[in-house]
Amino acid sequence: MKFLVTVVLAMVLLTLESVLVQRAGLVLSRIDVTVVLLAFLALRASLLEGACSAFAVGYLLDLMSGQPTGLYTFLGVFTFLACRLVYSLVDVRGPVAFVLFTMGADVGHGLLAAFFGWLTVKDGSATAVLPGLPLQVALTGAAALVLHPLLRRIEARQERAQVGGLL
Amino acid sequence: MLSLFRRYRRFLIVSVLLLYPLVTFLVTGRRGRDPNFVDRAVIAMTAPLQSALNWAIDGVVGVVNHYVDLRGVRQENDALRLENMQLRAAVQALGEARAENGRLKQLLAYAEAAAGPEIPARVVGVNPVAKLLSVRISSGERQGVYRGMSVVTPDGIVGQVIRTTGGYADVALVTDPQSRVGVRVQRSRARGTAAGSGSGPLKLENMLRTEDVEDGDLIITSGTDGVYPPGLVVGRVANLEKKEHGMFQAADVLPAVDTTKLEEVLVVGSPYQEAAPMVEGTR
Repeated sequence: MKFLVTVVLAMVLLTLESVLVQRAGLVLSRIDVTVVLLAFLALRASLLEGACSAFAVGYLLDLMSGQPTGLYTFLGVFTFLACRLVYSLVDVRGPVAFVLFTMGADVGHGLLAAFFGWLTVKDGSATAVLPGLPLQVALTGAAALVLHPLLRRIEARQERAQVGGLL
Repeated sequence: MLSLFRRYRRFLIVSVLLLYPLVTFLVTGRRGRDPNFVDRAVIAMTAPLQSALNWAIDGVVGVVNHYVDLRGVRQENDALRLENMQLRAAVQALGEARAENGRLKQLLAYAEAAAGPEIPARVVGVNPVAKLLSVRISSGERQGVYRGMSVVTPDGIVGQVIRTTGGYADVALVTDPQSRVGVRVQRSRARGTAAGSGSGPLKLENMLRTEDVEDGDLIITSGTDGVYPPGLVVGRVANLEKKEHGMFQAADVLPAVDTTKLEEVLVVGSPYQEAAPMVEGTR
């Protein structure tokens, strides 16, 4: 996916998420829509384009967190690189495999966020969000199932436009 | 040198993209940064979208609710009429008490703290990261909202403004694990701290074991933390634990406000506000 399309998509998804989470009355659990995008980038984008997109997606998540520290920008790029590494070892084909792949990425993303939070705060408050992680991973899996066809369609449209441009 | 750079160009760029935010995070830690131009632009684009989504959802929910409400309106009217009578009686009694309170204050030459501005706002969304439990509200610098001001509802305290941009502000909730509020027990005036725990009730901390606290006691802000004005409702004491040893007793505080169902809030100017720009009359 192109860089700008990824950024716009991330902005729209984060905005939607912030309203839906509020309406659903979720306390600790969130829907990690950015991890869905990062997992998709890891499967489809080149290293440089994917890393730049992951940086931008992480930056947006950082910004929307209310207290931007750079943590989620770092985690965005790191998760993208880790997903690429895992993808070189396992076969991810079809929506179900993508959902499992995304859920695995979300577990890593959530645990790393808690760990780095603990590094700076050094009290129980950083790990207080961990009880919400299982529901968060499940919700992110559901979001991946819904978003997978949409992301494929956007990608196919971009490829067609590129081919049309070349012809 | 140039050929070396070309050869490892991709590796270098990816390394910078990975390490720059990590170093920033490790240096700035938990403080966060003030909103820059890009941040303001992104918030200016996303926040109206959040408001529009809320407006659309409210519209649909409103239509459905109106239909449902109409069905039980007669019984509700009767119940409300009865409740109205009881409330009017209570207001009369309170009026007497207020008049008496005013007279006593005059006698004591009590200097009442000047109430700051009360700025109404609507909650337009929650932040998509649970690291910091916060919500975005529809009032910002333009309406006179600044970092450090406290946010309340008629039921009690909600949180503290942590970032403001043009017409929007982010509010860290009292339930956030990093939140600490100076409180006192309304009945006995015993002082302590209410700490957020993420989900569930707040934790009552630093309350001396000798202090007079009971289950069900109303907890209010003490005003000693420099953020919340004194006298705002925080919640009620539950699961009080008086241990045999140690300096402090522990308890839960059931929050008066359900922060997961917030809709409208008030931003209250704190007399201890430092982040607001100096304006005439406050110098």
